[in-house]
Amino acid sequence: MKFGKRGSILLCIATAVLLTTSACSGGLLGGGGNGGDSTGDSGPIKLGMVIPISGSSAPTGAYMKNGAQLAVDEINKAGGVLGRQLELDVEDEACDAQQSVAGANKAVSNGVVISVGGYCSGATLPEIPIFQKANIPMIIPAANSQDLVNQGAKNVFMINGTGKQQSTAALAFIKKQKFATVALVDDNTSYSKDINTETKSQIEADGAVKVVLSTSVTAGESDYSSVVRDIMGAKPALVYWTGYYQEGGLIINQLKNAGFAGQIMVADGSVDPSLAQIAGAGADGVYATMTQTPDTLKGAEDWIASYKKAFNSDPGPYSTQSYDAVRLAAEAIKQAKSTDGAAIITALEAIDGFQMFSGPLKFTAEHTLSSGGFVILVIKDGKFSLEDDLS
Amino acid sequence: MIQLIWDGLFVGSFYALIALGYSMVYGIIKLLNFAHGDIYMLGAFIGFAVLTSVGGIPASLSIGALLVVMLVSMLLTGTAGVLIERLAYRPLRGAPRLAVLITAVGVSFSLEYGISALAGPNPRAFPIRLEGNVFVLLGARISLPQIILMLIAAMLMVLLNFYVEKTSTGRAMRAISLDRNASLLMGINVNQVISRTFFIGSALAGAAGVMAGAYYGKIDFLMGFIIGLKAFTAAVIGGIGNIKGAMLGGLVLGFVEAFGAEWFGGQWRDVFAFAVLILFLTLRPTGILGQRVTERV
Repeated sequence: MKFGKRGSILLCIATAVLLTTSACSGGLLGGGGNGGDSTGDSGPIKLGMVIPISGSSAPTGAYMKNGAQLAVDEINKAGGVLGRQLELDVEDEACDAQQSVAGANKAVSNGVVISVGGYCSGATLPEIPIFQKANIPMIIPAANSQDLVNQGAKNVFMINGTGKQQSTAALAFIKKQKFATVALVDDNTSYSKDINTETKSQIEADGAVKVVLSTSVTAGESDYSSVVRDIMGAKPALVYWTGYYQEGGLIINQLKNAGFAGQIMVADGSVDPSLAQIAGAGADGVYATMTQTPDTLKGAEDWIASYKKAFNSDPGPYSTQSYDAVRLAAEAIKQAKSTDGAAIITALEAIDGFQMFSGPLKFTAEHTLSSGGFVILVIKDGKFSLEDDLS
Repeated sequence: MIQLIWDGLFVGSFYALIALGYSMVYGIIKLLNFAHGDIYMLGAFIGFAVLTSVGGIPASLSIGALLVVMLVSMLLTGTAGVLIERLAYRPLRGAPRLAVLITAVGVSFSLEYGISALAGPNPRAFPIRLEGNVFVLLGARISLPQIILMLIAAMLMVLLNFYVEKTSTGRAMRAISLDRNASLLMGINVNQVISRTFFIGSALAGAAGVMAGAYYGKIDFLMGFIIGLKAFTAAVIGGIGNIKGAMLGGLVLGFVEAFGAEWFGGQWRDVFAFAVLILFLTLRPTGILGQRVTERV
């Protein structure tokens, strides 16, 4: 997708070879792992988690994996689900569509009964038909492009706010701060483009603020002087970057070096400790639209402490969502009294008031959160902290 | 307008430095060394490793430290280039050109994923950040680091030009690019000269890698891919195999990108740059300087 056109092709071949072999062994030796599971086998219940383990989004993948593992350990210590232990099956998506398809196929052939992964929207999107065909429900903790639910797949549930809800939060903050003009910049990926167009249409429908520039950049480059010139020419009061942190950090740095006097806001894909490192001194004062992180949540201290104890590091973005995804999956399996996909989907739809970090859960008709729970963060001394909870 | 020209010049001088290595290697053994962009990446990572092992460097010394690190990195990437030629390309010298080309792609992968395995796949913030005073000249915002980096690039290119034009090794390089067998018969140590060519080309790319790390502040193991393609474009525009052409091609590509982005919008910048590559390949495959200067290196 981003850089490795050549890489992707070769990887595709390599993974195709691997997949055929693993799929075959699953068919021959596994004796239909899925069927065995749903009849109340005593083996562990497998949860699939396709997340970025390599590539530029790998740091977030580690936070997600740890968050999920924490929930798995807690549930197992408490006796598991339906008398069986949970087991996490982590596969790499590398934030790349080809790799995520390979990862999802591998998870399916490993016999997972539910998926609790999904970070990059562009990589999560092609996983949907694979899990759907295998009758496996997906609880998506982080990826949040509207495209994920627009297809209307019954097995997809999103527990992160959607692009639409993020745009609404962005607009609310823009109006609150009385920014008169806004420039929107994305990186041409599904997730990023979604927030850009959604924010643009909401701002235009609202009418109080003017969009003076809406443009895209190519991810994976170092020099963004052309977009910096465009922004300097359009003179917006606020630049809203909707892509990921690598390019975000470079653009912030280059904007500040060019003498940009307005404010900068980034979307949740850029909320990563590395953003401030890459952006350098100019990062302070940059706003971000983000769902609650452990640092900004009230009453999460105990949880943070047990996370630190387990992994010897601080939790990061999407640790809580991944933790909640596993707990939600366990709850749904318990309610369904079975690991059958259709029964779990019915149980997920029926869930009402399940306590999560983002508040009590009830899915909307399109399987998203009824409120996104987005807040505004600001960078202070290189760290994100809560600026405005928009309540 | 002035800003556009300045931005184009600045980016173009990076392209030119990397395009030189492409062009020199092509000139002397007719190989498109697709691993060249990854040598640039390697240079940035060597710079990173040296700087982090040294520890903190006061901001006042950052230019001096940068020059030292750049020299170290140039030596090491140059050596890496020689090793790559010795291990991967020399055994295939008599083989069909397609085989060598595929080998070059393989070397490129080995470098990318080797570094990814050694240094981790995550992007790193470069320990030195060149941030200097910005002043406005004729309406363009120009910063001190930009001027320093461009001076370094220009100096390296002048040195290279002198080396190729005036020294005996330079003469040998030009002779080999004209006729390798005849050069061999004239008593030129062809293998040694080819090794030197690889050393110089790779060292220039390594220098560009350190400069990019210090200026942009971020390095990652795939950073050489797109810029490698752009340097190739620059080499083709200028006339591949031609040293002055590579320098000119780099600057022209910088301008093409800056003006393309201005006229068609920022998201069309790369489309425009590579469209120019296609135009050149169909209309004038020898590039701007390809025919006028017959002597190639």
